[in-house]
Formats: sequence, structure tokens, C-alpha cells
Amino acid sequence: MNSPSSHFIHKFRHSSNRQDMATNEEEESPTELNTINSSAGFLIVSPDKLSIKYTGLGQHGHDVGVVQSNKPAPFKRHAYYFEIYVKDAGVKGRVAIGFTTDNFKIGRHPGWELNTCGYHGEDGLIYLGKRQGETFGPAYTTGDTVGAGINYDSQEFFFTVNGTLVGTVSKYIKGPLFPTVAVHSQNEEVSVNFGQEKFAFDFKGYEASERNKQQIAIEKTSVPPNINYRLVKNYLLHFGYEETFHAFDLATNCTVPPIYVPQEDGVDVQDTAYALNERKILRQLIGKGEIDAAFAKLRDCYPQLVQDDKSEVCFLLHCQKFIELVRIGALEEAVKYGRVELAKFIGLNVFQDIVEDCFALLVYKCPEESNVGYFLEASQREVVADAVNAAILSTNPKHKDRLYSHLEALLRQLMACCLELRLLNDGQGESLSLNRLLKNNSCKRIKKTG
Amino acid sequence: MSLFRIFINQLDEDDLEMASSKKVITREEWEKKLNAVKLRKEDMNTLVMNFLVTEGFVEAADKFQRESGTKPEIDLSTITDRMAVKKAVQNGHVEDAIEKVNDLNPEILDTNPELFFHLQQQRLIELIRHGKIEEALEFAQEELAPRGEENQSFLQELEKTVALLVFEDASNCPVKDLLDISHRLKTASEVNAAILTSQSHEKDPKLPSLLKMLIWAQNQLDEKAVYPHINDLSTAQLQDPSE
Repeated sequence: MNSPSSHFIHKFRHSSNRQDMATNEEEESPTELNTINSSAGFLIVSPDKLSIKYTGLGQHGHDVGVVQSNKPAPFKRHAYYFEIYVKDAGVKGRVAIGFTTDNFKIGRHPGWELNTCGYHGEDGLIYLGKRQGETFGPAYTTGDTVGAGINYDSQEFFFTVNGTLVGTVSKYIKGPLFPTVAVHSQNEEVSVNFGQEKFAFDFKGYEASERNKQQIAIEKTSVPPNINYRLVKNYLLHFGYEETFHAFDLATNCTVPPIYVPQEDGVDVQDTAYALNERKILRQLIGKGEIDAAFAKLRDCYPQLVQDDKSEVCFLLHCQKFIELVRIGALEEAVKYGRVELAKFIGLNVFQDIVEDCFALLVYKCPEESNVGYFLEASQREVVADAVNAAILSTNPKHKDRLYSHLEALLRQLMACCLELRLLNDGQGESLSLNRLLKNNSCKRIKKTG
Repeated sequence: MSLFRIFINQLDEDDLEMASSKKVITREEWEKKLNAVKLRKEDMNTLVMNFLVTEGFVEAADKFQRESGTKPEIDLSTITDRMAVKKAVQNGHVEDAIEKVNDLNPEILDTNPELFFHLQQQRLIELIRHGKIEEALEFAQEELAPRGEENQSFLQELEKTVALLVFEDASNCPVKDLLDISHRLKTASEVNAAILTSQSHEKDPKLPSLLKMLIWAQNQLDEKAVYPHINDLSTAQLQDPSE
């Protein structure tokens, strides 16, 4: 069970964590062909590692010149795509394009073995882990550009010839997939495009239309009327933004027509408006770094919260006081304060490393630039303010033990569902980032200049 | 050999059947996942500010900036002007609204024939509402009929509006929706959106689309898992999977 205060301790420790931004960006992508793990005996790879030429005899089923890309296809997105250009279909035109896993069999066409997939130029058939292929698309030959892609949303492979989609097939293979190319008769020569050149197929358009499909489905859902106003009100009350709440409340009462508020909401507002003024005052004090004043106010109004000096609320306030002293450069005073108020937390697992990190601030000439510099940011004060806010709410005898505002609960549910969907999809598909969504302003992008 | 192949194929189908039964996630497990979600307070504040600003709640946005330190994404002064236009339409003072929009940015109506038509249509509705029949007909003939000639859908709208005049008790006729206050709100919304777009700001707040996404995501996940839902967005209460 997650207690309210440990939630804030955790946030205090990782206040301005930029890690969540990285999930979508840092994926590797194929850039060239893998010369180490290819059927070296049957083909040669060009020096730029983007072309292959068959050098075998093409006499049986085990002398295919096949090669994979250097990296597997990235999957934290809607789709992936690459193309080949058939420079020379050679004597028999046995070119193939497809996907294989990292333990594919050397010397065999993609698609012939289990967990591989291949679209073959000689017969236009698709091979899905069996020696027999199925009718799929046109055969292709010299001068053709053939593309292969993975659609992570629909879990399908798709193929194109000369810029046109020719077919899709269910993606039955799990795990990372490597773009794979093969040649199997004399003089066959193929070059590969991993995106370093423009594709013949409008892949960007394809991606956009996939994204749109999702958007359209999302737009079709309906939400209860006036839900946004109710959520904003609850949010403002929950966190104690008293003045904003009153301004908003006033404005929504003056709208045309007035916004209908159901009976239950009245009760909810009463509950969440508990100690609104005190919470606002404390947030203001902490927001300005006036921790002593905050302590005084709490002792005055909610002594039960500061009675136990080892409570989490006291801990956060003491830490913040320490940080404020460092901020104004009163280092000696900070040390004194730390000895009196923070030393007692050493030995208590939950708090110890935070205390150590706080003390580390003393060591730097420019603590803001150190790796514990985040302690000096405004967001840190906000965590303390939120913790005090939650503590005061918990003194409400009618307290319903709701850690999150309604808005936050909904956002968490949204993110948890999206994460679970990706998890069940083997981690494939674009991840949802609230931060990215908020920064994304499509209007600014299409603004015309001049 | 072929019997063996049939057997193997059947095995595959059974495996598929097992795989297609849904993953069960208990309430405890789900709550752990919920608590593990990385959500920044600043982002939630930005979301609320975005709502206040897009919907035009100037005073609230100003107070929110002071109380939370969140910066509004557009200049608050532009909101006041926009809200004046919106209010004028909501109160049925369409001529006034049109004047204000042109003061703000004459290009808005120039580049938005549909919006301009809807504003004129609203003006006609207001004239009819106040029983100014002669004035209404004159207005329709001079201002709206020419637009109707250029555009089929405008003509249809115009005909619908004029139909109001046919009925003595317009509040009970088939096109009574036009007289409803919701039509004023619709037009007001349209103007609001056009002004925002002209200021290179997204016309819709992000909050509603996130709520829609939640409903969509729960529907998607329903196909693959059994887990606690939030069925009532206004209480945001978690319901056990069995319910």
C-alpha cells in the first residue's frame, strides 16, 4: 500500500527528473548491413555496407546470400519501414526482402524458416516460416524498388513495390526484428535504403494516416458534459489554490448558460474545500521559502501534524529550511540547523539518503549546477507545499483518503492503461507522454511565414 | 507425415486459444501501477492553465499564475478581447461582435467565409426572435441571399432559418433549435476558435482530448485484460474488476 507521505518523499528525492522524456527518443535504428553475421560465402557486401552482390552458384536451398541490418528495427513507434532497390535481378531473379530474428539461419531465404518472413521477387509470394509460400503480390525484378515495413499498432507486416502498398500479413513473430535482404542467383545485386535517402513509398503519409486512425477513434468517444469544469474545480480545491478557485467559480456562474452542477458535486466541493484558506496560506509561505513561518502557522492551526518531529511532514520542512539556508549562502547556519534538525533522521532508511544529498549541497561553490542542484529548484518547494497540503487534508474527519485529485487520478489511469497496452504488445508502439503532448502545438507548426 | 502436420496445426490453435484469454490484473497490482506512473505537478498545472486560457477565463488564469507560478502560454490581454467577442455573441449582440472581431483582426472574417455566414445567420435569428419581421426579411435578402447563391450548404442553412418565420409559435416548430441558446453558444465557440487560430494558438484545450483518450484506452485494454476501471469520470473512482 502506498501511503500519502512516502509518495511525497519519493517526489522530493526525484523532483526534476527528466528521465521520462528519454523513453521514446533513445532507440537504435538500422543504418547499414551487418557484415559479420551474413552468409559470407555467398555474397559480398559493398564497402559502404548498403549493397550486396551474389557470388554463389545458386544451386540448392542452402546457398542463399542473405544479410541482416546492423541493428534491429526500433519498435517504440507506430511503424518501421525500409526499402531495397533491385540493381540487377541476375539470372533467376531470386531476390527477397523481409524480417528475421537474431538467430536466423545463414544461407536460407527469409521466410523459409520459422520466425522469419520474406516477400520473394521471383514468384511474388510471401513466406511465413514455411518452405511453401502464399500468393501475396507481384513478382519484382531489375529496376524495382521494394519496401518492407512493420505496423506495431495493427501487428502486421506490410510490403510495397515502386511506392505502392501491395499487401499486409499478420506479424506472427515476437521479439526484435532485423530488416533482411537476400539474393540467390548469379549477378544478382541489390542496394538497401534505411532512410538515408528518400523512400519511393510515402512512409510519412502512412504513419500519419495510422496516427489519424487512432485520433478518429478517440474523437468518437463522448465525455460527460461540463466534466472539464468539475475537474478543474476539484483540482484547484484539492491543492488549495483558493483565489483561482473563487475567480473560476465566479466566472463559471456567469457563463451563458450557467454551468449545471449536479447535487453530488456540492458535497464534493464541501469536502475538498476543507481548510482551503489555511492550505492556501501555507502554500504561499512555502512557495516563498518562508519555512519558519510555515512551521509557526502549522503549530498554530494543526499542531498534531508537527507534534512528532520525526514525521514526514516535519522532515520535508526541515530539509527545505536547510536548502533555503544554502540558497542564501548561510552555510554555517545551515550546518548548525542540519545538526540540530536533520541529524536525527540519519539511521532511518527512508530519509537518510535525502539528508546526505542535502548535506552534499554544502560542498559546491555553485550548488545549482551540481548533480544535487535540483534541490534548489522551485519544484522542490512545490513538493513540500503539496505534502503539507495533503497532511492538512488528512486531518479532515470526513476525509475520504483520496491521495490524488480527480484529474490526477484520471491521468494516472490513462497512463497506466497506455503502458499496459504497450506491455501487452511486447513493448511496441508509441508511448504517451503528457509532457510531449502539452508542448506539441500543431498551430505553431503550420503557421505560414510572410 | 500429413497426420503429424494436422496434429501440429491443432496444437498451434490450442496455444492461440490460451493466449487469447485475458490477462487478469488485481486491484492491488493495478494500484501499484497507478502509483508508479511518472506524472509531474508542473505538467498538470500546465494542463489546467491551458484550459483556463483557451476557454477564456482571464481572471482565473491570472490568479492561477500568481498562486502556482505556472506561465500562461499566451498573453492574457489577448484573452480579454477574445472574451468580449464571445460574450457579445452569447448575449445575441452579433453586430457588436462582428465589429469587435474586425477591430481585433480584420483578416479573421475575410479568411473565414463560413464563420462570417454563421454570424450573419445568428443576426437573422436574433431579428426574428425579437419579432422584427420586416427588418429580418430585408437583412436576409440583402446580406444572406447572395451568400446562399454562392454556396449550396449556406443556402440550405438560410432556408432553414427563414422557415422560422412560417410558424406563429416558432418555439414549437421543427427548426426551433435555431432559437435555442445553444445555437448562440455554437456560434460563439466558432468565433472563439477562429480568433485563437489567428493567434497561432490551438483552438481546443487539451484536457477534453485526454479524457477521450482515457475512455478509448480503457476500451482498447478491455480486449486484452481484466483490470479496475474508472467508469465515472466525475468521481474518478476505481471500480474493482468484478463490478
